[in-house]
Amino acid sequence: MKLVISEGSPHGIKVLAAAALWAGNVEIQRLQQEEKVVPFLSQPKLPALQLDNGNFLFTTNAICRYLFLSSGKDITDLSNQWLEWEATELQPACIAALHSHVVQGKKKEEAILNIQKCLIHLDQSLGKENHPYIVTDSLSVADVAVWASIYPLFTSLDSLPDNLSSFKSWFKNVSQLEECQKAAESLLKGQGASAFKAFLQKLPTPVLPAEKPACN
Amino acid sequence: MAVDELGALEKCLGLKGGKYSCKAQGGGQVPVLQINKGPSLSGLATIASYLVKEAKKEELLGASIEEKTIVQQWLEYRITRIDRLASKEDVRCILKDLNLYLEDKVYLAGNTITLADILIYYGLHPIIADLSIQEKETYINVSRWFSHIQHYPGIRQHLPSLVFIKNRIYTNLH
Repeated sequence: MKLVISEGSPHGIKVLAAAALWAGNVEIQRLQQEEKVVPFLSQPKLPALQLDNGNFLFTTNAICRYLFLSSGKDITDLSNQWLEWEATELQPACIAALHSHVVQGKKKEEAILNIQKCLIHLDQSLGKENHPYIVTDSLSVADVAVWASIYPLFTSLDSLPDNLSSFKSWFKNVSQLEECQKAAESLLKGQGASAFKAFLQKLPTPVLPAEKPACN
Repeated sequence: MAVDELGALEKCLGLKGGKYSCKAQGGGQVPVLQINKGPSLSGLATIASYLVKEAKKEELLGASIEEKTIVQQWLEYRITRIDRLASKEDVRCILKDLNLYLEDKVYLAGNTITLADILIYYGLHPIIADLSIQEKETYINVSRWFSHIQHYPGIRQHLPSLVFIKNRIYTNLH
């Protein structure tokens, strides 16, 4: 199978880490910019994983799921819930925070306020469950998906919020894994989040929808 | 709305109705299911996948690893794309992509119906209901697939049946 990623896109971190952790034989192709690879999608959408039968997977979480399942592991309901949360809430919030920091020049601390709610949710859940990873005692696809979305905002681990201690120790744990570190560094190239500037500039300014009051 | 849909899915799977609430998340409303034997589960795709397992109809989640992943990929597409359409242009974009994807397929994942077909059908229903006959013909593969799924026993539930015309009227298309 072949994993196609685009240089300078933060979405590559997640799938490169998953490939390093759970798959032995993945060919990795790096394209200089967003190119059209998946034949049925009209807009360029990378990363993409081309399977040996020619079929494509085109979302980062689907790619991670496939690699994780292929390594003989199982995805639980709780992992599904974290992956769904990552795709619908965390990922858009992180991209918006990155955009406001890297493109609009907001201070990092201010930009991080965009994801504060998500970090608190994660911290509380990690604290409550009392195991080192998000769903169990061992690293799962949910850890990698959630970690990779947040990582570009905390490339220097010393800026992690002290008041969220469970989050902080979990984040350090995952960041220190060799596979995760290599995946991130191969895209960040020592430049921190500004490595993603060109990619982020092409995005329409992300607008986080205002929170609506919860229904009954 | 997601709660009604999960109710329809429960009926379609032959399950008794569960206890639902909803909470604000990511700027929208997310369904939450209270489970007797454990903590609650939240999110449309997560709950729907759980219900399928509860009903012992795992075949709806895909047979192989590839099919399982493709089913989950379309569930993600449903909640991140179809549920967040912001403009006419977005609508055209997803219909165009689905139309191309379905060109050589009967179902979204593999060779039988899966949860992906059911949830994308529910999600597209209000959009397809708004299309003109001419637009339905433009997205001919989506129309063929949609019409097939809505006639599949037990799936449509409370949703109105939408009309598709078998013979093309606009012969200049394609």
